[in-house]
Amino acid sequence: MRKTRYFLYVLILIILLTLPLYTGVYLLNVTDMILIYLALALSWDMLLRSGQISFGMAGLFGVGGYAAALVHLNAGADPLSSIFLGGLAAGVFACLIGLAVLQLRGMYFAIVTLALAEIFRVIVRNLPDLTGGPEGTILPSAIFAGNSTRTYWLVLTVAVVSIIASEIFRRTRIHFALTSIRNDEIVAKSSGIDVFRYLLLIFVITSAIQGIAGGAYAHIYGFVSPEGSFSLDFTLLPIAMALLGGMHSTWGPVVGAVLLGVVSEFLKLRIPYGHLLVYGLIIVIAILFFPQGIVGTIGQRLKRSAE
Amino acid sequence: MNPLGKLKQSSYQIAILTVVLAAILATWKPHVLVEGLQRACLYAVIALPMALILGIVGIINLAHGDFMMLGAYFAYFLNIYTGMDPLVAIFPALLAFFLIGIVSYRAIIKYVLGAPELNQLLLTFGLAMVMEQLANLLWTSRPIKLPLAYVSASATIGSFTFGIFEFVYVGAAIIVLSGLLLFLKHTSTGQAALAVGQNPRGAKLVGIHVDRTYLLIFSLSIALVGAIGAIFMTRHSIFPLVGAPFTMKSFCLIAMAGIGNLMGIFWCSLILGLAENFVLSFRGYAGWADILFFALIVLVIMVRSRQRQAK
Repeated sequence: MRKTRYFLYVLILIILLTLPLYTGVYLLNVTDMILIYLALALSWDMLLRSGQISFGMAGLFGVGGYAAALVHLNAGADPLSSIFLGGLAAGVFACLIGLAVLQLRGMYFAIVTLALAEIFRVIVRNLPDLTGGPEGTILPSAIFAGNSTRTYWLVLTVAVVSIIASEIFRRTRIHFALTSIRNDEIVAKSSGIDVFRYLLLIFVITSAIQGIAGGAYAHIYGFVSPEGSFSLDFTLLPIAMALLGGMHSTWGPVVGAVLLGVVSEFLKLRIPYGHLLVYGLIIVIAILFFPQGIVGTIGQRLKRSAE
Repeated sequence: MNPLGKLKQSSYQIAILTVVLAAILATWKPHVLVEGLQRACLYAVIALPMALILGIVGIINLAHGDFMMLGAYFAYFLNIYTGMDPLVAIFPALLAFFLIGIVSYRAIIKYVLGAPELNQLLLTFGLAMVMEQLANLLWTSRPIKLPLAYVSASATIGSFTFGIFEFVYVGAAIIVLSGLLLFLKHTSTGQAALAVGQNPRGAKLVGIHVDRTYLLIFSLSIALVGAIGAIFMTRHSIFPLVGAPFTMKSFCLIAMAGIGNLMGIFWCSLILGLAENFVLSFRGYAGWADILFFALIVLVIMVRSRQRQAK
């Protein structure tokens, strides 16, 4: 059983790695976006496992993107390391912010993160000398000179790294700490869990993943702008994906991202303005009718039929 | 209780701070005072219904500003098709949004009342997206505005000229605030609603119909915010995302004032409205005014959680 599972993983990985051999540029670009959203959805879910709901993904995504672009432009770092630095910048930012906002819980945390995304956008728009102001900044060229195969591998790496990170967090004691914080913080505290330290750790790591995703996005499109990089899409879509697939798991957000990513490409062609409506509806319907998501619901069914 | 001890209560502190700030402003930059007051009342009147829902139903409605946006479009189309003045459209808007409130409570909100807070947040967030995108789909994102002559009415005192139409926000804020306070303190339905807000189980035990109270308060708040949309659209251009910032600003005000403190919301919005207009009055720094709200909320929430820990 275990062997077949690992065999399956390896097979999927090989198929994913060699995907550029069988598909065209358009499909690769679609896959790039899906994988970026996949990383965002996973990172959102990782923080959610501790019971903290963040609406600030777009903020850290944009910070990562801007940091990666500015380091590349002003300090001459090569694109790959500047993407890494973008993630680092988002992580450091999250650490500083986290010292303050992680004192908050529930709706206060959620709204402050939503506000932070807005604050970042205002700051970026009001520093035209550094960031190019409202018009944004154009990079001299896209990463790998726009080579879609290598771009795909880069994004695939980001996605796989976030899947691995999520699995590590599910399989180590950190998982138990975060779950007990989510279930009852006072109990967690009295069993000796340093709640604040764990929350800070997970907040910094998920923010770094979001920053790396943002950096990759900025370098793939060679462009950062306040409205584009901090777009609410980067908050809304991953949440819808994670909810549809199923919260509190690794494979839920992955399944959700792939499903919704494919569907959204069709919708985008059908309804160019307002296709986000579907995401809002998915969030509402998922919460009302199957809060476990697709993976959770199927898992429950399987368990029940096994009994 | 000695008067000094009473002064420590937050709303008194806020009130005194406001008066001092206003006095300084009146002499230095009078237009900041007038425009700040008008803006503050707009914030307050939008935040009040949200505070009502949060305080009594216990739901943080992230689609709050979007109901206002729908109200604005409602008044706009009423004007286009029937020629009704937006200020008259307040009354049909009240009725229409009361019904919309009933429908959204019965169809959606009711089912997450017992759910974890996280699900409630996500649900209303999703609802906000649905409303914004629906508006986007139906009416495009192009800003629209009615050409109304009376909105640019102005008055002059000495060398100082200012718009007087915006005082409609001040009027609306006073009416809504005093109306809500009267309703909550002096009617039996209002008293029942307060009881439900404090302790739903206890309220149920003494025979209050909790579900009906939730329904009433939710629909009433949606009706109010829809009607405010009608007032709002007289002066501002409207587009699908016009309401979203107000959701956040309303939440900031509620968090600053403390949940359930309607009077405090009024004072807090005065401070923020004046402060925001103060920043706006400096040429070249106007873009930073948007941050003020969020910087203040982060500060206030931090201080509050520190205080709670100290206790």
